[in-house]
Amino acid sequence: MSSWLDYTINGLIVGNVYALVAVGLALIFGVSRLINFAQGSIYLVGAYIGWVAVVQLHTPLPLTIILVAVVAALVGLIIERFGLRPLQNSVRIAPLLATIGISFVLDQLVMLTFSPNPRALPSQLPDVRFQVGGGTIGPLDLLIAGVGLTSALLLFAFLRYSKLGWAVRAASQDRDAAMQMGVDVNRVNQAVFGIAAALGGVSGLLVGMYYNQIDTAMSLQATLKGVVAEVVGGAGNVPGAVVGSLLLGLVESYGVAVFGTSYRNLFAFLLLVVVLVLRPNGLFASARQAPPEPLTGTFIAPSRPLRIPRWALLVTAAVFAILPFFPVSFYVLQTLINAWLLGMLALSLTLVAGTVGQVSLGHAALLAIGAYTSALLSLTLSVPVGLAIIAGGLMSAALGTLLISPSFRLRGHYVSIATLAIGEIVSLVILNWESVTRGPIGISGIPPLSLFGYDLISPASIYWFSFVVMVVLALLQGRLLGSHLGRSFRAIRDDDIAARAYGLSLNRYKSLAFIFGGFAAGVSGGIAAHLYSYINHETFNTQQSILALTVVILGGLGNVVGAIVGAVALVGLPEVFRIAAEYRILIYGIVLLLLVRFRPQGLLGTI
Amino acid sequence: MTSASGPLLALTGVNTFYGQAQVHFDLSITVARGHIVCLLGGNASGKSTTMKIILGLVKPRSGEVSFDGASLIGLTTPQIVRRGIASVPEARRLFADMSVRENILMGAFVRNDRDAVAQDLDKMLTLFPKLGQRLSQRAGSLSGGEQQMAAMARALMSRPRMIVMDEPTMGLSPLYVDRVLELIRTINREGVSVFMVEQNASLALDIAHEAYVLQTGRIVLSGPARELRDDPRIRDAYLGGAEAAT
Repeated sequence: MSSWLDYTINGLIVGNVYALVAVGLALIFGVSRLINFAQGSIYLVGAYIGWVAVVQLHTPLPLTIILVAVVAALVGLIIERFGLRPLQNSVRIAPLLATIGISFVLDQLVMLTFSPNPRALPSQLPDVRFQVGGGTIGPLDLLIAGVGLTSALLLFAFLRYSKLGWAVRAASQDRDAAMQMGVDVNRVNQAVFGIAAALGGVSGLLVGMYYNQIDTAMSLQATLKGVVAEVVGGAGNVPGAVVGSLLLGLVESYGVAVFGTSYRNLFAFLLLVVVLVLRPNGLFASARQAPPEPLTGTFIAPSRPLRIPRWALLVTAAVFAILPFFPVSFYVLQTLINAWLLGMLALSLTLVAGTVGQVSLGHAALLAIGAYTSALLSLTLSVPVGLAIIAGGLMSAALGTLLISPSFRLRGHYVSIATLAIGEIVSLVILNWESVTRGPIGISGIPPLSLFGYDLISPASIYWFSFVVMVVLALLQGRLLGSHLGRSFRAIRDDDIAARAYGLSLNRYKSLAFIFGGFAAGVSGGIAAHLYSYINHETFNTQQSILALTVVILGGLGNVVGAIVGAVALVGLPEVFRIAAEYRILIYGIVLLLLVRFRPQGLLGTI
Repeated sequence: MTSASGPLLALTGVNTFYGQAQVHFDLSITVARGHIVCLLGGNASGKSTTMKIILGLVKPRSGEVSFDGASLIGLTTPQIVRRGIASVPEARRLFADMSVRENILMGAFVRNDRDAVAQDLDKMLTLFPKLGQRLSQRAGSLSGGEQQMAAMARALMSRPRMIVMDEPTMGLSPLYVDRVLELIRTINREGVSVFMVEQNASLALDIAHEAYVLQTGRIVLSGPARELRDDPRIRDAYLGGAEAAT
């Protein structure tokens, strides 16, 4: 077995790699108060540029590193110029959503160009290991340490001695005051994105060499790890990001040593949640309190929602209700069933993100909880499926609210990070809790949908079942929003301080929203489990969370009808245009980007 | 470069909006070369927005802003700073995590003459001796009065032709208030014009050449500071309370 020294070395090396990502995130957060969710995609691009250089161009190692840094920096500059600069005067959530959209687009472009299959990325370094004390160290370890140290020194010198570096520091402390000293903030942004991207790209290259494997799933993982390290060190704090990264590397490495490889990420996200709850400004925030997030109200693009007359809604609902009587194909029904399931998830998210202003990026976890609860109850305890689905909804409501409650005290972007982490934690717990969830094997043979003892096998009956459930949930939500509860929710979203001053308990109302939203999402997950008959820990992933968010923004945040319209549009349009499956995520990313840029209030308007 | 005729700064017929709400109504203000001009007004009268208009941080919907005869409309804040306007923002706004020396040198960001910048730094330390002992400290650790000194030194480092100041005496102890006013006079004597926004009318009128009174976005009174000091309307609105208390 490897020694503790080996685990320490491994932890520091991996931490070094995280630091390259996290420092870039910290620089960007410092200057633009933005969590750049596209950072992992640049890391991915870096890894694949490195692969092209090493395997196809046979460049020597130093040239490979420079090539990767330059190309990645160019990608960063393009993102800044065309993706983010146009959003400068937009609502606060817009740049965050744009970076998510950009990351989808970049990841998919890489996947389409290079195929999703993993590739080997040889390091070109001799495979020898030196004995150091009780552990060993190889040339690649030294290279990573060297690159990390060199970058840190270069960055330090840049920030401390160059004029542009001073401008970066000044702008990150007080943007307006920096402008009044003559600092061109656009140039500062450009510099910061270029540097962050170069570092991120090189990080991807080194990681690929370290594991001698690259694949497109690296992107999201890198973003998540970078964000964890950055938040642990204190958002926007560059030296903090380095320390946070090394700490994260060590925690993971020791965690793996004690519990095994599949626990690696679990430790990362638990560390994040603990830090967010106990020290939301990071471990090193003493005097340097992170500036408060703007009031959540500015997160939602103001608009006048489209008024749809009641009869039009009734007629539309009636048309969809009698659709199976017409000779429509199985394929159409199947597509619409998917839309109704996504619609339920969107109802849940539009309540939480739109009405209460808590932009959740981990909503798929609620699906997973509902799905596993319902599947296990019906399979192992022979609970009737109808009841099991309701139990799944209740479990999502209870467990989901409980899990998310640590994030109730957070605001703005931190809510998004926390929910993302909680979503990952749920998926990792499912993976590791084998005695209950059957771990990586997943659950197969889930009984089909049934109601009062009758199995729902025909597409039409499944269609009706999911349609009616969704409509009932939508009506309930409509009632909820029309009551004083809806007003309180919106008050919390628009100005939580004022809401608190009027005696609204934020925790109570946020809990209520998550309970209701959790139920809707859990029911959707439950139905899906019985429909698919097989689920595992990856069935409900972050991609679905982001898809749901895109649906909700497309329909208009907080808009109940909009959520359903958005779901039908995003599920249906790719079918109508017969877009091949591998292009769909790319399309979703582009839709998100276009929406954020040109119609942040969505199709039907925010409420 | 300086055209000797005409005012240094002129706002003419400026109308400003925040969304639907109008902040300035047909605002016109001029600052003559070498003068100290103060803008008086209560809360929410549009004083700070006037500063932001001059600095290009807020764009007026209509009207003209010119400096030394050339329009500032459409220029970005950094471009305006390069024209020779420096600012001492409200609440100082130092770069808290940078050292005092770095803060002062940030004021010279638009300059490229290193040697002269170093000389100017020495000059600032004679003008503000207190800062000399604080140079390597974090700016955030200075007292309010010291921060005001540092912010003024920072503004002077760009060798501006005009300094705009937002409430330079706000939150300072009486001792520092006198020092700051004295320093503004000193700066002005060296040829720098000053446009300052103040709530404390009696102090501002003591050192200003001209003054304007802003009320809910409109200039309601203007003229030489000496005349305004004796104007009964000013006494009622701004100085009356103080006199009644004594």
